[in-house]
Amino acid sequence: MKKMLIISITFILIFQNIGFSEIYFLGIPVIPNARIIKKDTKRIEFVCNISHDKILQFYKKFLKGKKDIKIREWKNATYIEDDGNRKWHSITIYRKSIQTGTLVIIKKDSWTWIIGTLILRFVGVFVVLMTLLIALSLSGKIISAIVKRMESKQEA
Amino acid sequence: MTFNEIMDMLRGIIYTTGIFNFDFRIVIMWGVASFFIYLAIVKKFEPLLLLPIGFGIFIVNFPLVPLMGYSHQGYPELIRAFYHYGLEWEIIPCVIFLGLGAMTDFGPLIANPKTLIIGAGAQLGVFVTFTGTVLAGFTLKEAASVGIIGGADGPTTVYLTQLLAPQLLGPNALAAYSYMAMVPIIQPPIMRLLTSEEERKIRMKQLRPVSKKEKILFPLITAGIIALLVPSVVPLMGMFMLGNLMKESGVVNRLVETAQGSLMNICTIFLGVSVGATMTADRFLSWKPLFIFGLGLLDFAVCTAGGIFTVKIMNMFLKDKINPLIGSAGVSAVPMSARVSELEGLKADKRNHLLMHAMGPNLAGVIGSAAAAGMFIAMFH
Repeated sequence: MKKMLIISITFILIFQNIGFSEIYFLGIPVIPNARIIKKDTKRIEFVCNISHDKILQFYKKFLKGKKDIKIREWKNATYIEDDGNRKWHSITIYRKSIQTGTLVIIKKDSWTWIIGTLILRFVGVFVVLMTLLIALSLSGKIISAIVKRMESKQEA
Repeated sequence: MTFNEIMDMLRGIIYTTGIFNFDFRIVIMWGVASFFIYLAIVKKFEPLLLLPIGFGIFIVNFPLVPLMGYSHQGYPELIRAFYHYGLEWEIIPCVIFLGLGAMTDFGPLIANPKTLIIGAGAQLGVFVTFTGTVLAGFTLKEAASVGIIGGADGPTTVYLTQLLAPQLLGPNALAAYSYMAMVPIIQPPIMRLLTSEEERKIRMKQLRPVSKKEKILFPLITAGIIALLVPSVVPLMGMFMLGNLMKESGVVNRLVETAQGSLMNICTIFLGVSVGATMTADRFLSWKPLFIFGLGLLDFAVCTAGGIFTVKIMNMFLKDKINPLIGSAGVSAVPMSARVSELEGLKADKRNHLLMHAMGPNLAGVIGSAAAAGMFIAMFH
């Protein structure tokens, strides 16, 4: 009886290891067999021996059908962003393999990002209108000068 | 014919009537529709839009009406067709901007380009509301579409909402147009609270005359700069500037008449009815639209305050002071908010006319809210 119990527990433990080998960070799976470089409550960085494209395919498959997901192709990385209300904010998959493999970073959704990007964009509105202000002031001065010159010529 | 057969026939007729499919929630929607029709007819609040919107809400909230669905053959029903081709395809807001451009005189803005900064400052509420909306549990895209209500620019609100959160189109458009109509009620207390008697009496230098050449160059320069810096909003601003170029060129009067007349009126009818028709009981009767209405008001107030504070900050560095009452006009809502500035100015000094000065930030507000919308589109779309 004891033997049976030990065997059963061993089986359960083994089965558990096989079935739940995937680690999740904020609801996003970490690539199996990846080497975690850094992990805290806000971000996880890991490296794995799989190409960028395969990792991207893995996450695309996982996120298939989920709303408010945006994939941006950057020069050095693919950036997957969540515009919904999920716990995670982004997954960055770098293109260039570092010595040990491809680097992936998953970040937590944070208010720092939201407020930061909002302030930047508010400043952006000023930049757009200031550029317009400079352009209008310059063109106004140029046109006024031209008109004055034409008028003085006509008077002469 | 047997009795049962007659009963079956009668039952068949009853099943196809609205009475049999009646849902009590639609009565609330009739009340909402009546309220907006009342505002339009009795109070004359933005009647060109609130009337068709109100009727759209009313008519779509009857059971079995073939208006916003699809036929058995898969063709869109009447208002669904207006909505699909006009709003989902993003055509109507852009065509309305064409008409607005053909109606607008940018002279006051060109004469005093400093007022462009006020138009940017008045977008403060857009970004503040965004934060509040995210805190309330909306998604980032929804928050952006709610935030833009404070810009007080109907077509921009419709354009952005349709792109980012089409499920909120009805409440957002309705909040934007309602608050635009209520500018004379919402803004004056904020203006008086944030300015001193002395500030309200500031007289501004008369604006310089603007040459025709400058007016022709303005839409080209603006369209070019917007296209370079915020390309995502070029469909709106490009059409706006095209309308203005047509007007200022003086060589296509027939086109200008069409753009600011018939074309704009047709689009306004389709826009109003389509927006109203999105507000069915099952969509509208939840906490989200009510929250949008509440936050929209705050948004408007913060935008007004943002414009006034921007003027105050500018005055610290300017030799010729600006009357802070024109800051509130930075929220767009052309020309209503400029008129409010004029009226408040006259209350402080009966000889101080601010209307033309306020038109500068008012027009800058249109560009500013479009720029803010462009920032959000670039971010989320």
